[in-house]
Amino acid sequence: MHVPDGFLSPVITLPAWGAAAPLWYWAARRNFGASATESLPILGSLTALAFVVQRLMIPVPGGTSAHLTGVAILAILYNPGVAFVCESLVLLLQALFFGAGGFTVLAVNALAMGLLGPGAAWLAYRALRGLSEPGAAFAGAYVGMQVATLAVALVLGLQHRLDPAYMPVPFEVTVAATMLPSLTVLGVVEGLFTVATMALLRRARLLHAR
Amino acid sequence: MPAEPRRSQILLVAWAVTTFALSASKDPRVLLSAALAAALLFRRGAAPVARRVVVGVLPFALGLPLASWAWLAWREEAPPVAPFATLALRAALIAFVTLSVLRRVDLLRAAAPFPTLSRLLVLSLAQIHALRRLATESALGLRSRLPRRPGTRDAVRSSGAVTVALLSLSARNARDVGDALRSRGFH
Repeated sequence: MHVPDGFLSPVITLPAWGAAAPLWYWAARRNFGASATESLPILGSLTALAFVVQRLMIPVPGGTSAHLTGVAILAILYNPGVAFVCESLVLLLQALFFGAGGFTVLAVNALAMGLLGPGAAWLAYRALRGLSEPGAAFAGAYVGMQVATLAVALVLGLQHRLDPAYMPVPFEVTVAATMLPSLTVLGVVEGLFTVATMALLRRARLLHAR
Repeated sequence: MPAEPRRSQILLVAWAVTTFALSASKDPRVLLSAALAAALLFRRGAAPVARRVVVGVLPFALGLPLASWAWLAWREEAPPVAPFATLALRAALIAFVTLSVLRRVDLLRAAAPFPTLSRLLVLSLAQIHALRRLATESALGLRSRLPRRPGTRDAVRSSGAVTVALLSLSARNARDVGDALRSRGFH
């Protein structure tokens, strides 16, 4: 769930850029190293992986389809920092090369979908994997999706609170419009996809050889 | 007009400032004037861009305000339409300006003075191209193996398998690209 350009004013988007910039720098240095020869190929490949996974469409009952985010699997396989950097680059490429998403809201989307969602997915997975590995993968992906969507809804709600003339859509409508599909369809699809991917990785003995 | 990459860089900076400025406006007159100016400035190729805005942006940019207005009108009394229309206009206008500018900018040339950024963009786009081919071929393969349209279960299972293949391919590509960079003297 992206926030498009025009829904958030610079009162929110500029501080978000200010908060995201040092986090991008820190996460990139920590996870991809200082040497460009080491970091660029793996960063480019994982970004491409996240980008292409987001293009996989899953038909859902009712004649429509949902697309995956794939960031929970990155957070579980690597860590939330890797997911944050890769998802941010995906959002940048989508905004600059494919005209999707938005540029002013890029930092808000990156923090919600790239950091908070995958962070929650990683925490839920770590907390539950002792009980059941597939259950933990499903719960992680499901929780990550809900946290990311709720963060988006909260930011839109904050914009309404700050300036109802700018963003006239009230919080309850934003929450209903974003959380209902997320709770009922998108979270379940993302969870099933994560479980299937983890099971196949395990069967192919690639889980620890990545 | 300055030569490349200066021209693209100037356009990109102007676009970034303009989108932030437009995103700050809630005055419908200002936004309508800006929309008129954008339509005049980017009249060449405006039709396909407008089509992309209508298909890609308007469903959400118009749908959410409309649903919200209808909900408020049903619950209490009908609120003024202007803020809802302004919200949809602002989102559509920024999308139109963005798509129009991006058609006129050579992003890879604009990034040329920044070698690390430039290499990252080239690498990512090349990898996206390679991985997308694999994903498309897998989707076509799934469709050809099933006597019916793939359902949710087929698609989820197939997406897991495709992701594993993509993960293996991206890891192999990363190793190959790293070796290639090192062999050419990059550090």
